[in-house]
Amino acid sequence: MASRWANDEADKAEDLRRKKEKEEKKRLKLQKQQAEQEAAAVAAARAAQRSESRPAKRRRLSTDAPDSDEPPKEKESERKLLRFAAGGWAPCRHTSNFETLNHIEEGSYGWVSRAREIGTGEIVALKKVKMDLNQDGFPITALREIAILQKARHTNIVDLREVLAGSAPNEVVLAMEFLEHDLKTLQEDMPEPFLASEVKTLLRQLASAVGFLHGHYILHRDLKTSNILLNNRGHLKIADFGMARYIPPPSAPLTQLVVTLWYRAPELLLGTESYGTEIDMWSLGCIFGELLLKEPILQGKNEVDELSLIFTLCGLPTDKTWPAFWRLPNAKGLKIPRDSGRNSAGVIRTKFPFLTNAGADLLTSLLSLNPEHRPTAQEMLDHPYFREAPKPKPPEMFPTFPSKAGQEKRRRRASPNAPKRGEAPGIQNIDFSGIFAIRDEEQAGAGFQLRVG
Amino acid sequence: MQSSPLANPLATVAQLETSGSQLDGIPIDLENSVRFDGARLTQAAGILLRLPQEVIAQAIVVFMRFWVGPEGGSLAEFGAQQVSAASMYLTTKLSAYTKSARSIINVYTYLDSLPSTFVDPAQLQAKKAEEYYVSEGTYQRRKMELFETEQRILKVLGFQVQVSLPYSLCITYLQALDVFSHPRASDLASRAMAHLNTALLSPQVLYLTHQPPSLATAAIYLAAKEVGIKLPDVEWWEVFDTDREELGFLVVALLSVESFAAKERASWGSRKVPMTVDDLEAEMKKSANGED
Repeated sequence: MASRWANDEADKAEDLRRKKEKEEKKRLKLQKQQAEQEAAAVAAARAAQRSESRPAKRRRLSTDAPDSDEPPKEKESERKLLRFAAGGWAPCRHTSNFETLNHIEEGSYGWVSRAREIGTGEIVALKKVKMDLNQDGFPITALREIAILQKARHTNIVDLREVLAGSAPNEVVLAMEFLEHDLKTLQEDMPEPFLASEVKTLLRQLASAVGFLHGHYILHRDLKTSNILLNNRGHLKIADFGMARYIPPPSAPLTQLVVTLWYRAPELLLGTESYGTEIDMWSLGCIFGELLLKEPILQGKNEVDELSLIFTLCGLPTDKTWPAFWRLPNAKGLKIPRDSGRNSAGVIRTKFPFLTNAGADLLTSLLSLNPEHRPTAQEMLDHPYFREAPKPKPPEMFPTFPSKAGQEKRRRRASPNAPKRGEAPGIQNIDFSGIFAIRDEEQAGAGFQLRVG
Repeated sequence: MQSSPLANPLATVAQLETSGSQLDGIPIDLENSVRFDGARLTQAAGILLRLPQEVIAQAIVVFMRFWVGPEGGSLAEFGAQQVSAASMYLTTKLSAYTKSARSIINVYTYLDSLPSTFVDPAQLQAKKAEEYYVSEGTYQRRKMELFETEQRILKVLGFQVQVSLPYSLCITYLQALDVFSHPRASDLASRAMAHLNTALLSPQVLYLTHQPPSLATAAIYLAAKEVGIKLPDVEWWEVFDTDREELGFLVVALLSVESFAAKERASWGSRKVPMTVDDLEAEMKKSANGED
């Protein structure tokens, strides 16, 4: 039977091909005739006939023998073609075109300072790239950051104006637009958390920027409040693309050592090497919670502690909610009760008592343990939370705050850096065999351990 | 003008008028030869490094950008080989196919050991490994040179090292033109791809003067003529944002690369095109003496 089908298919294809060839021949012949007896009435009639049946193909504009019965050419000037431009290139300008006003911050990636362009008087933020030339030449992370910032032009992403060269051969400085605040420092100095309407505005801008990045195949991989800048007009911009990269072709392994611990998704903590845009959505969930409470919601001391905090807040993974869980590299080292039923439910709703139902729903979905259950940035923007009262506050109505970055050196409070740096001192001390002892009465001592090494 | 993620930064008229090399008194013919063979060298190295053509093409475009304009790099200061190697190193870093400095240096040393620029493939089999062995000392020296050249490329280009390519656009256009039902469609597609690769080597630096949509359109137009597949009888290229004049220019430019390459091959014969600063100086001295 199978072979009959195959024959039929082949025959059909063969027939089709023959028919096409015939048609092609016929068409060519007719064309010739046309060219020869252009004025003849017969040819004109034929052409008219065919131009009726296949109008698009019969309109010849660029032949040596134009059909006499064709409609006149459209004028060239009537059609306007799109023209695309991406500028040009010129050598890097020297850093001496700028004068430094004050230092803002010193991080693992380099130094950031506020500066004024001498020629124009414009204020910019200068970020000096730390370089170790002997390793692999120009640092790949800085190269990626620059490449991605050049492509990521969005109203909620910090604008890279140019790259400057210093006097030393290995001095490279990024000139970026200056914003007065970052969300972390700002929240530390605010007496009260942001209002619900303000949180919505911030979150919406954040989701729109993340949606843009993901739409352009970019993973940020280090979303956290200290990387999110805010100006005095309520305008939010994502900064610090030092960890960002393009989504590579499938199967290429990615490093799991990304995203600052407190904002790191559970699948990363469990050692997955194939992850995607969902890890940024998890970070967005952490930021959402942080904006509501005015402090980071998952301040783990180390990877194991972070995981146990996550499971405490979001519940335990079950075969139903996260079937792929047990296939993750580090999951084998964990002892988690398999079917703990009701006990494994999360406590998000109780931890955020002032959040509306829609808000709690959004937060819960962002903080889904199973990455597949997290919404995309676009789905997040369409969430009813943004449409219900209180409406998002217009950015121009935002309160202004004194800018630490603008005037004085910042007071730094301990918080973890992007990975590869030491861990930050935690605040809570969680005994996590205890969590599970309460939650799981049937199995005695049902804690879990991460097997190291 | 609209901005588009598919657009490339293009060379300005001022940049096309002169180059760092010409300001240093290097004849334009010689510069063209060196750039052409530098691009071929980059292509060859990319193949030996087992890189996808997209990465190789980006490296060639970066290599070409470096020499353009009065503020561009000069052959009196940088050898084409070192710039080719650094362009390749830089491009692989931004791609998903990072290559170590060691691999790059090994491959370029091997290619440098070939007896002539237009090499006879039969000769390749007879090569001995000692001829292209890189000792630890040489490696350290070349590595520093590679890193320094990389820095200079970045600074001369103002970090504009990203390149949008016309290859996938070309496939999309062929689909839009509905030619894939044709029995010889794959011939057409591979000819079009070949033209896009040819354009990389053009002395008219087509990738620095034209946007990817126009390059893809011209390649399809020419390929369809060669393969004998009829495309719609309308000015279909306008759909792909290319006007008739630009199309005509690109078609002529693409066709001219073949004769340019043949002339190069004939004039250099079994000699090597100078790919280092020293070789270039020697070559210029030689031709000056020859003229006397």
